[in-house]
Amino acid sequence: MSEPRRERITSPLTSARTHVPRTVRQEIHESTGVGEVYVRSLVRSQLRAALTVVASVALTIGLLPVVFVVFGDLSGVTVGGIGLPWIVLGIAVYPAVFVLGWLYVRFAERAEVDFAALVEASATEEES
Amino acid sequence: MSPGAAIAAIVVVTAATVTIGALGLRISRTTSDFYVASRSVSPGLNSSAISGEYLSAASFLGIAGLVLTFGADMLWYPIGWTTGYLLLLVFVAAPLRRSGAYTIPDFAQLRLGSSGVRLTSTWLVVGVGWLYLMPQFQGAGLTVQATTGAPQWVGTALVAVVVLVNVVSGGMRSITFVQAFQYWVKLTAMLVPLAFLALVWRADGSPSPVAAEQWFAPLGAVTPQSLYTTYAVIIATFLGTMGLPHVVVRFYTNPDGRAARRTTLLVLALLGMFYLLPTAYGVLGRIYAPDLVDAGHADTVVLELPGRMIDGVGGDALAALLMGGAFAAFLSTSSGVTMALAGVVGQGLGRRGPWRVRLSAVAALRWAAAACVTVPLALGLLAQPIPVANSVVFAFALAASTFCPLLVLGIWWRGLTAPGAVAGLVGGGLAATAAPLLTLTIAPGGWLGTLLAQPAAWSVPLGFALMIGGSLLTRSRVPADVSRTMVRLHTPEGLRLDRS
Repeated sequence: MSEPRRERITSPLTSARTHVPRTVRQEIHESTGVGEVYVRSLVRSQLRAALTVVASVALTIGLLPVVFVVFGDLSGVTVGGIGLPWIVLGIAVYPAVFVLGWLYVRFAERAEVDFAALVEASATEEES
Repeated sequence: MSPGAAIAAIVVVTAATVTIGALGLRISRTTSDFYVASRSVSPGLNSSAISGEYLSAASFLGIAGLVLTFGADMLWYPIGWTTGYLLLLVFVAAPLRRSGAYTIPDFAQLRLGSSGVRLTSTWLVVGVGWLYLMPQFQGAGLTVQATTGAPQWVGTALVAVVVLVNVVSGGMRSITFVQAFQYWVKLTAMLVPLAFLALVWRADGSPSPVAAEQWFAPLGAVTPQSLYTTYAVIIATFLGTMGLPHVVVRFYTNPDGRAARRTTLLVLALLGMFYLLPTAYGVLGRIYAPDLVDAGHADTVVLELPGRMIDGVGGDALAALLMGGAFAAFLSTSSGVTMALAGVVGQGLGRRGPWRVRLSAVAALRWAAAACVTVPLALGLLAQPIPVANSVVFAFALAASTFCPLLVLGIWWRGLTAPGAVAGLVGGGLAATAAPLLTLTIAPGGWLGTLLAQPAAWSVPLGFALMIGGSLLTRSRVPADVSRTMVRLHTPEGLRLDRS
């Protein structure tokens, strides 16, 4: 049995599509698998930040009622003539809530800037 | 305080509100004027406006009254009303603004594409609004009675009429800056008298409040019921804020999602600043006016203190300042809620045309406003008054049991379906409306009474469970365009992406 004649198969260069880089924006527009992945990862990182804030609130402010029940003596402690519960619940909680909010805003904005950079970077590629 | 000073304060605040409302009518005539102007509201102005509208009589008068009566446990109310905005910030602020929804029914429509969800949430907005308005109207009646001696219905009817005139004339629509101004009015009206009262207290040798031990300690007389109640209040207020109709409307006025976040952050600062003050009034009340508790007028402690601590004209002037602030609180919150309700109901009326009559948008809005004020006015006149801060929590519980699951799941979970949303809204809504109705009518005692008086701890999980369970059972009904909606909700506006 003779070997089959070797045939060379080449693509007809004249009609072949040159490689077109697809941009993140196109992927998102067309709801392709890749576009989905980008958006999903943005949503997931924002959700993770939100849940971190919720967990922080639950483990600090949320535990205070139980703390005051379990450690009843704390209620008797006074600082500068004011009872500790009044300082914590009446004053200290508010700056704490603000700081949590500030940290969240910083994180969320950074995540969006990163996402925008990803989309825009591939967009400049597309235009050049 | 002398009736004359009280009446003068009421007249000045009412006249100013009506005048500014009338001016607002001239500034902005059409709904599109309103929208376009509003979209350029900066976070600084907008956060003052949100806080001004949000700080109701429950905050201005109610907290001090509760602290006077019950002590440290009541500090959870202002904490909840502030932290509610933190949860709104992390779950809702930017995506809700990016959705472009003006009301919660709008959001439901565009996320789930279902008119059933839209209708259900419209009814719920009305329910939340009525529960919120009723104590405002009642509080106004009690306040006017306590300070001027006029019968209770006078103050109640006065606030309802002024609010209606304001909204019908279209004034409230255009005046973000008035609501913003209101915040600073309320802050000043609390801060300035407090400075004088503190001086008098120092001059008296800084006496300590005299009260039972449980007044000083949170959960002083600890029972499982009191612990339950504390957590139920926490859940209702933390999660209910995001579902209040007048809060959502204000978010639409931010230029974009990023500004919505910054606005909310500033709101946290403004509310935190304000909420330091009512507690001080409550504590001073314990020292100088403990008899108000037995007289059943604890809610008026803020107004009573200047007269009791400072003699003559000085005390009267400070009391009048506080009365003006309190009345501003009644008017601004009631107007904001009524406007938001009228917007939601008016949309429905304009869309359907009741009795097959086609109403113009403005006419629909006016009829809706009238209906929205009448029902809580009737309830406020008929129902037995309960402390204003307590009854406002019913509105928070209802919002937390229905709109909190709808918004949080709608924004963060692709699996939400229209049947699931309706199941959660109806189930959570029924639970959270039946409970206050039973509490107000038959008032059962024991554990049942506790569970019904503060339903949020069980009705919020119920709302979430029904919504998730219902959606999982109807997976085929997940909207086909959910991916596109997610792009719209979560990506920054600056990116040129397809958001339709």
